[in-house]
Amino acid sequence: MIATIQHYWRVTIVNIRIHLLTILEYPASIAGWALSNPIQFVVGFATIQFVVARFGTINGWGYEQLAFLYGIAVISHALSMIFFVQGWFMGYYVIEGDFDRYLLRPMSVLYQFFFNNFNIIGITDLIPGICVFTYGCVKVGFHWSILAVFELLALIIGATLIRGGIYMMLGTLSFWTKSTNEFSGFTQEFFDKTTMYPLTMYPRALQFILTFLIPIAWVSFYPAGAMLHMDGGAPALDVSFFGAMPFVTLGIGIVVMVVASLFFKVGLRGYESAGH
Amino acid sequence: MSVISVEHLSKEYQIAKKEKGLRGAVKNLFVARKTIVRAVNDISFSIEKGEIVGFIGPNGAGKSTTVKMMSGILTPSSGHVYVNGTDPQKERIKVVQDLGVVFGQRTQLNWDLRMGESFEMLKHIYRIDSGLYEENMAMMNEILGINEFLDTPARQLSLGQRMRGDLVAAMLHSPSVLFLDEPTIGLDVDGKYAIRKFIKEMNRKKQTTIILTTHDLGDIQELCERLIIINHGIIMEDGPLEELIDRIAPYKNLVVEYFDENAVEHEKAIILSHVGNMVTYRFQKADLTAAQLIHDISAQMRIKDVTIEEAKIDDIIRIAYGGKENGEKE
Repeated sequence: MIATIQHYWRVTIVNIRIHLLTILEYPASIAGWALSNPIQFVVGFATIQFVVARFGTINGWGYEQLAFLYGIAVISHALSMIFFVQGWFMGYYVIEGDFDRYLLRPMSVLYQFFFNNFNIIGITDLIPGICVFTYGCVKVGFHWSILAVFELLALIIGATLIRGGIYMMLGTLSFWTKSTNEFSGFTQEFFDKTTMYPLTMYPRALQFILTFLIPIAWVSFYPAGAMLHMDGGAPALDVSFFGAMPFVTLGIGIVVMVVASLFFKVGLRGYESAGH
Repeated sequence: MSVISVEHLSKEYQIAKKEKGLRGAVKNLFVARKTIVRAVNDISFSIEKGEIVGFIGPNGAGKSTTVKMMSGILTPSSGHVYVNGTDPQKERIKVVQDLGVVFGQRTQLNWDLRMGESFEMLKHIYRIDSGLYEENMAMMNEILGINEFLDTPARQLSLGQRMRGDLVAAMLHSPSVLFLDEPTIGLDVDGKYAIRKFIKEMNRKKQTTIILTTHDLGDIQELCERLIIINHGIIMEDGPLEELIDRIAPYKNLVVEYFDENAVEHEKAIILSHVGNMVTYRFQKADLTAAQLIHDISAQMRIKDVTIEEAKIDDIIRIAYGGKENGEKE
């Protein structure tokens, strides 16, 4: 067990080294991302500001709370881009037969799929996320404590896993559809809109779906609401905010990831490579 | 125990039949007509330690599908594969730790970085200890001369260099079994020579069991002690090349040039053609030797020149595929 962990750890270090080397091979591409990615979030933040300026609050969430909510959404988005963005492109690997090489190496196929390709450029999303979140914390007068730090860690990890697991499940469909399934634009749009505003803004049916079926509401809305002690505006099925919600997010994240991994394993059994 | 044993292995694919045109495309949405294709159909064989086996067959015969099932990439529809006694479907990681695979058509080298980085990475992936790593690198460099382009990124390598790099990548962890899928495809004479030499050396030095698919007759003649010929997913032949030649073409031709248009007949040879001064005799190797035939006819008439023709390997292979008889064009 320890030997296995050491093995994966060493390979991860070498992977990071290789990624840094690759980035240095193509510096212009990095510069491009470093400029364009943050702009996207500045625009997102400006949108929220505009909405709040126009309508006052959204179901009890003011500008400060929305910054906090949006900060969590962007940070978990950035982390999911760093570690799980490959899920968006799984279809290409299926069609091109690129899983062949992973299947031939003595490591987990999923580990290789995500970590051989992990995306350091995602950091260009992470920095604006941290800025917005810090701003939100200051504005709401967030009370820092050891518990709060654990809550934040739990919810960020959980939220990242929820996003990553969903990308993975969508990607895994390619094993059956035998097509590239370009879900990336769709998922990003959907995740953006559903994590940056309070869930209560949406119709009850959608609230129900986002709580229980596709648990996106747990990425930012429930844990942020709980940490800010928001009341009223109780979402679907009259669930009120409760303190343990950040840990529920972590639990849901783990469950989503486990289900996605099992689903992937089933899909991989039907893998047909390319050319015969 | 056999290094590889394949038992009643089959693989089926579903292939969607698409109808043409817009009408067809709309129809395809509702009634998808699927046909089942048996790419590999109930094949069995076993391979012993240290063998070099050529896996031969026309395009689409099922060679790659079989290799991919043997290496655990594809799940068989039925039947079993055991590599060193282990089923790659059940214990993939254990099997691949002792397996090297090269696909001639695609590389496992990192496209953007110097080739050496790819080897470093593999060292960690396969947990190769530094001593063995250095030793293998030095030994393979001696045969393939890879040190010259160790610092070149794969995208700037020539096909021959890239192929050498891929062979090193596949053998770094000293696997006992090596699968090569068209290792000499597209290579020039030098490239082919280096790769064949490498295959022979690995087999000799490390007793590596090697299975290669190829369309190259040179590979077949120079490397393969044993051929498994597969077509339409079925094994057509399994044995040494010489045995195959003896069975499919148990004859030789003798072309004789006389001084005039008259020719001698021989009871044990038939005349295939007689054009001007040139006469082609065919005789069974079991009945007659070329020397005897030349002796007998030159005793009766003066001859100017002779050529002995062996059956062409490509004709033999083509017949073994289930193709047309010698000389006929498809």
